Amino acid sequence: MVDPVVALLAFALLVLVSAVLGWPRRGLLPRAMNLLRQTERVRLEDVLKHLYNCEYAGTRATVESVAGALAVSRAKAVRLLARLDELGLARPDAGGSSLTDGGRAYALRVVRTHRLWERYLADRTGVKAVDWHEHAERREHTLRASEAEDLAAELGHPLYDPHGDPIPTADGELPPRSGVALTSLRPGTRATVVHLEDEPREVYERLVAEGLTPLVRVEVLESEPGTIRFQLGGQERVLEPVVASSVTVRPIERKGGREGQVRRLDELRVGEAARVVGISQACQGPQRRRLLDLGVVPGTIVRAELVSPGGDPVAYEIRGALVALREEQASWIEVEDAEDAADNK
Amino acid sequence: MRRTTSKSTATHVAPLHRCDASRGEQLVRLGLGPGKWDHLVALAGNPNTGKSTVFNALTGLRQHTGNWPGKTVARAEGVFAHRDRRVKVVDLPGTYSLQAGSVDEEVARDFILFGQPDVTVVVVDATRLERNLNLVIQVLEITERVVVCLNLMDEARRHGIAIDAGKLARELGVPVIPTVARDKTGINELLDAVEAVASGALRTRPFQIVEHRPDLEAAVSRLLPAIDKAFPGLPNSRWVALRLLNADERIEKAVRSGELMQFVRAADNRVPGEGTGRGVDSIAEGGLGEDALSRASELRWTLRPDFHDSLVEGIYGAARRITERSVARGVKKARFDLDRALDRILTSRSLGFPVMLLILAVVFWITVAGANVPSAFLASLLLDTVHPVLKGAAASAGIPGWMDGLALDGIYLATAWVVSVMLPPMAIFFPLFTLLEDFGYLPRVAFNLDSLFRRTGAHGKQALTMSMGFGCNAAGVVATRVIDSPRERLIAIVTNNFSLCNGRWPTQILIATIFIGALAPAHWAGLVSAAAVVSVAVLGIVAMFLASWLLSRTVLKGEASTFSLELPPYRPPRILQTLYTSVVDRTLIVLWRAVVFAAPAGAAIWLISNITLGGTSVAERLVGWLDPLGLLVGLNGVVLLAYVVAIPANEIVIPTVLMLTVLTGGMAGVGAGAGVMFEMESVSAAGELLRAGGWTLLTAVNLMLFSLLHNPCSTTLFTIYRETKSARWTALSAFLPLTMGFVVCFLVTQVWRLVV
Repeated sequence: MVDPVVALLAFALLVLVSAVLGWPRRGLLPRAMNLLRQTERVRLEDVLKHLYNCEYAGTRATVESVAGALAVSRAKAVRLLARLDELGLARPDAGGSSLTDGGRAYALRVVRTHRLWERYLADRTGVKAVDWHEHAERREHTLRASEAEDLAAELGHPLYDPHGDPIPTADGELPPRSGVALTSLRPGTRATVVHLEDEPREVYERLVAEGLTPLVRVEVLESEPGTIRFQLGGQERVLEPVVASSVTVRPIERKGGREGQVRRLDELRVGEAARVVGISQACQGPQRRRLLDLGVVPGTIVRAELVSPGGDPVAYEIRGALVALREEQASWIEVEDAEDAADNK
Repeated sequence: MRRTTSKSTATHVAPLHRCDASRGEQLVRLGLGPGKWDHLVALAGNPNTGKSTVFNALTGLRQHTGNWPGKTVARAEGVFAHRDRRVKVVDLPGTYSLQAGSVDEEVARDFILFGQPDVTVVVVDATRLERNLNLVIQVLEITERVVVCLNLMDEARRHGIAIDAGKLARELGVPVIPTVARDKTGINELLDAVEAVASGALRTRPFQIVEHRPDLEAAVSRLLPAIDKAFPGLPNSRWVALRLLNADERIEKAVRSGELMQFVRAADNRVPGEGTGRGVDSIAEGGLGEDALSRASELRWTLRPDFHDSLVEGIYGAARRITERSVARGVKKARFDLDRALDRILTSRSLGFPVMLLILAVVFWITVAGANVPSAFLASLLLDTVHPVLKGAAASAGIPGWMDGLALDGIYLATAWVVSVMLPPMAIFFPLFTLLEDFGYLPRVAFNLDSLFRRTGAHGKQALTMSMGFGCNAAGVVATRVIDSPRERLIAIVTNNFSLCNGRWPTQILIATIFIGALAPAHWAGLVSAAAVVSVAVLGIVAMFLASWLLSRTVLKGEASTFSLELPPYRPPRILQTLYTSVVDRTLIVLWRAVVFAAPAGAAIWLISNITLGGTSVAERLVGWLDPLGLLVGLNGVVLLAYVVAIPANEIVIPTVLMLTVLTGGMAGVGAGAGVMFEMESVSAAGELLRAGGWTLLTAVNLMLFSLLHNPCSTTLFTIYRETKSARWTALSAFLPLTMGFVVCFLVTQVWRLVV
């Protein structure tokens, strides 16, 4: 019989080896796969994308910026730019490099695939927001043009990706960027979020955690060096300006007249009724459709009826039916006090 | 593609639509069986509106119905006669809308649009009219041939809601028939209305929303001419315009291929005398459809991105107005007092869990106590009486030994074993469960337990599929259909096997009694072994939560998730019908599948024990090979081989283990011969036999653990494959618990050897 100590040690070793090899993202196998994917073509496509982004943002692409964006050495960046020149996709110009027409069309195709895939992940799958970009970074190089078109048709030819970036059309048309940085707003200004920068991941994680997403409305309460305080969905949020500068917004004029106090549905006490104002844009895809189909649309009177023993979910009366929603779902639903809701009881 | 009227019966009276070639093809593609009928009726409705009950009332079929949203996933169809007309009814999946956001919605929408039903009956829950009208209005946008079946009128009355069906019919512009499908009230009137609409005797004027948001209305009015040009006479061009603006891929395809034209023709042919005169031939020209499509994609840029939201908003706004106009009293004062009072008890912080545990305990107790007698009876009948008689008959008929061994000792015994162990508990457990389901209690259990399951990434309804798994994992997997969120449903399917099923309880009890009960003083023995078995079941629940947590964070991370849990009104259960349908639907179907799988297993067991290679039987050789692995995890080759050959049914593991122990141990005077499964007369005799085969307390503990943590039986695996249509998830369901079993047994064994 095998000595138990030997057996246990062998087992521990086996577990350790498989963890080192297969750990998601950090293991040796995922890393090796990643390296294998970094072919010449992928690198070149990434450079094109970088040149395009610089052009779109109106900045200059240099060897340094290419090396930084792709995390490669400067020598490698020089080689890649030279290769693009050879292929007629980019031309060196004063102190940097810029796209040719062919290069721009190529870059737009890659960008289109990237944003379509992000839209797909947001609408059709349960992949978390912070992981969209990374998945799309890989798929943009593997999806063929015809597949990208099929995807676009399946998704209903979306116009924007889930971060608010416009998706170039198949012909490469793209509207110019508009809006201002959240950090530039004066206190008291209301604005609609139009775009979130999805890189770096750590910053984007913060934005998602604070409930920021394209089309949500915010009101800036305080904007000081070092901190920016704003209201979102009836709650106060605080961000460092470094992080908040990744948020682009479009200011909206204050409408006349009083607007009711907007709360979130999960703040309702049992027996309390309220009128739905809307569903937060943070709730997208199948989740949003289900809520709409259940009758959660602006104007619907919703009453909290039952709380489960664990406190979550809560059952609400919605359009005559008793529907249990989890706290997360209820927090997406914005409601206001309903004067006539009381006589519903 | 043009309908050739000469082929049909030369007369031009309605109904002409006795499936011509293209339509027949279409219907086969939509999954409809062949057959002849005069009227094709589609049955649509929200989940849990009694749609299946209406279907049964119409067709007399006994489709299983339950107080659950989302029961009908596979589509049911039936044919019946009404006033010399053969009517075919197709039960569509219950959906909240027809936006084609899920597979169910797509199936329902495609059938209404491309299946060209003569009438679409929308079943509406009278107690939740406003919510249900959402679907009705969407159906009316697609087709004008609609009859609304206002079901559950008795419940509405009980809750103080009075609906003026006449007013509602005027508002909607289609017939509205109040029914109580459970006792067939109103079914005849419903059929007459269906007949009237199908034959064209009654022309409907369906309600349409014409007051959408200005930007939307502008886009629609600019798109409509292009559609009307491409498809003149299309009755639902407005709806098509909205779908094209929404970039609905299926509708785009139908426009491009001209498939939509069938709809025009169908509409033409149904109204006698109106079918000619329109330029049917000139329509299918390509190009015009493309024009409409490119116009739509241009106009899409003029719409705001929350376009879909405002569509739904418009529909619900209309639903509210219609409801307010047609409900005489009660919509605001609907009395759900009794329901709420009951809810407050059943979901309360203090009483919710005790009541739940009590009810579950009672269900299990009735099952266990009630199953003993019939199980023993079936065993003595099939195994002790019929088997010897058959053997005797075979011997006197001069059938060769190998043949009767294979057929009677192998196939017959395995099958009989499975039937006698499995049938009685299932025949008791499932009806009890179904009664709770019909009453509406089970959704409350899901409500109570959801917070527990949410933390592991699962759905509260998994509590129910898990409980169902204690009866039978295959039935538990089927029951996951009530979970309408893709990710949570997969989690429930893959982890159902961690519920210790009915086929494994006897193994646990026997081994615990022999080895663990024996450790305690005699008067405690029963309690100790019972505690051991219960701990294994609880360990299974722990493993289920662990696996759910793991799955939701790794392989199933990307699956879409849409939580919603509707709590239907309580309904008095109908005991007799429940008994009948649950025995037929669940018990017999599961039993039949088990038998189908058990028979070959019996043959395999007999064969490996009786075929010899170089003087040793195949079984002995296999046991020899498996022994080192078995010993490493504290079991032995016999157990592993038994689990391999007994994949089809856990019930036959112990008989196989006993037979193989005798065979490999070369014991004389015990058992019934090579390949013949048996059980010992007494528990102590079985214990002696196993100890003689080298079993220790460690083996027993590991067997109990392995019996909990191993691959599901092949019936369950087959069911998983049928439900998921994916070899990947089926393989995961098999290897996840198997790996866990090996790891747990290995660790227990090695640590045990180290310590003891």
